[in-house]
Amino acid sequence: MRLSYLLLLAGLSLCSPLARGDPWQYELLLMPSAQAVGTFDRQAPVTEIVDEVVQVDTLFTVQKGPFRLFGEYLLSDHEGDLERFQLGWQATEDTVIWIGRYHQPTSVWNHDHHHGQYLQTSVSRPFLDEWEDLGGILPQHFVGMLIESGYQVFGSWRLRVAVGGGLAPIITPKGLEPFDLLHPDSEHHQVGFQARVSLHPGGELSETGFGLLAASDELPTIGLATPPLPGLDHADLKLLGAFGIYAAGDWKVLATWYQAYEKLCSPVMCSSGNFGVGYVEAERHLPHDLTGFFRWEESADAGQSNYLKLFPMMVRQRDVIGLRWDFVARQAVTLQLSDTNTLNGHFKDIRLQWSAAFL
Amino acid sequence: MVPADSPVRELDSVSVRKLFLGRPVLVNGNQLHPLRNRSDALLDEVFFQHIVAMSDSNYDRQILIGVNRQLALRPVELNRTAEVVAALHADPNAVSFMWQRDVGHNPELRVIRVLWSD
Repeated sequence: MRLSYLLLLAGLSLCSPLARGDPWQYELLLMPSAQAVGTFDRQAPVTEIVDEVVQVDTLFTVQKGPFRLFGEYLLSDHEGDLERFQLGWQATEDTVIWIGRYHQPTSVWNHDHHHGQYLQTSVSRPFLDEWEDLGGILPQHFVGMLIESGYQVFGSWRLRVAVGGGLAPIITPKGLEPFDLLHPDSEHHQVGFQARVSLHPGGELSETGFGLLAASDELPTIGLATPPLPGLDHADLKLLGAFGIYAAGDWKVLATWYQAYEKLCSPVMCSSGNFGVGYVEAERHLPHDLTGFFRWEESADAGQSNYLKLFPMMVRQRDVIGLRWDFVARQAVTLQLSDTNTLNGHFKDIRLQWSAAFL
Repeated sequence: MVPADSPVRELDSVSVRKLFLGRPVLVNGNQLHPLRNRSDALLDEVFFQHIVAMSDSNYDRQILIGVNRQLALRPVELNRTAEVVAALHADPNAVSFMWQRDVGHNPELRVIRVLWSD
C-alpha cells in the first residue's frame, strides 16, 4: 500500500457527493515532550534501553461528512516517522472503518495513549507495549484495515469490538520493523490479524471495563547473523490475552496479561514454545494536581523462549514508581524511578520529563 | 437548539453529551455538528455542569484523548451569539445552545431541549 494511493483515495472520499454539503472540519494537536534520563546500578554489558529524549508528536485530522483523514507524525532525536495514517469512513454512529497504517488494537496501552507522552501518566510504557524501534517484542504498527464498533448490551453496558488485519512487521538485526508508508517495501511483510472485545458497565463513555485480546502474526526474519534456530526464516506468533481497567474517583487501575505461543521455523525444522508477559499499574490523583503511580511488570518462561532471544533488551521484570505534577493547563512534569531486570542484566533508571499538549 | 430545517426533533442527554465531547452523533444518517457557545461565562458553567457533566480540566483532557484516539473532533467554539445564530442558519445539521432571551421569536431556530433555568 502506497501513501500516494491513500492520499488519492482520501481526496476522492472527502470531495465525494456523500460529503457534499457538510462543512470541512480539521484539528491539529501537538504533543511535545523532553526528558532527562540517568541509569545506574548497571550489571551486565547491555542494559540500557533505547530512548527518545526529545520529541514532538503531531496529530492532524481532516473530516468532511462521514470521511476522515487522520495522521500522526513523530519527530524525535531518534527518528522521524509517519506513525499512523488512516482514512476512515463513519459507516454508522457506532462503527468506523479505517484503512492505512494503524496501531494494532490488542495493545490496551497503545490504543489509549498512542505516542502522546502528555496523555500517559508514567514516562515509560509497559515493555510488552513498547514500540518496535525501541526494542519492543510485539508487533504494534500494521498497514491494512481496522474496524472499530460499539454496541449497547445488557441495558446500559457497552460492548466494544475492534478487529484489524494488515501487513505485519518483519524481524531484522534491528528488531521488529513495521511497514513504512514513506519508504514502502512489501516484499517480505506478511498479513497479521488482531481482535479485541471488551465490556464496559458504565456505558459508552466509560473507561472501566474488561476484555479479551487475540492476535496472529507471521513475522519473516531477514539478515539475522546468529538466529536462535539455524536457518531461521520466520516466526509465527499467536497471542491470547485479557485486560481490565478500573477508573473511578481518584483511582485508576489497569492490568493486562498476554500468553504468547511462538513457533520459529527454518526450511527444515520448527521450534515451539510459549511465554507470558503482563503488568498492573495503579494511579491515584492527589491534591495539588499531583498523580502518583506504580507499575509492576512481570513475565513467565521468558528465559526459555527462542523468540525472545531475538530481542536482547527484553524486560522480564520491572518495577516503576513515580509522581506527575500538572503544574499548568496542558503541561506536566513527571518524575519516575524504575528497577529493571532484562534477560541479560539489571539496571535502575531515573527520568524527569516535561510534556505538553497544544490544540 | 437547531435550525428550523434540522432533521433533529429531540436529543437525549447522553447524545448531547456525546456530541459536545466531539464524538459522532448521527440523525437520519447525517452527522450532527456541535457549536459551543462561549459568549458568556455563565454559559460556560451551564455547559460543564449540564451538558458534558465534568469539570473544565476533565473536559479538556477528554477532548485531547478523543482526538488522540482518532475518535473525536473538538466542537467549533464561537464567542458571540450572533456568530452562533449565523452558523446555525448555515448548517442544517448544527446543534448549539444559548439563552432563551437570545432565541427570542426567531422562526429560523428551534429549541429541542431546555438544559437549565434559574
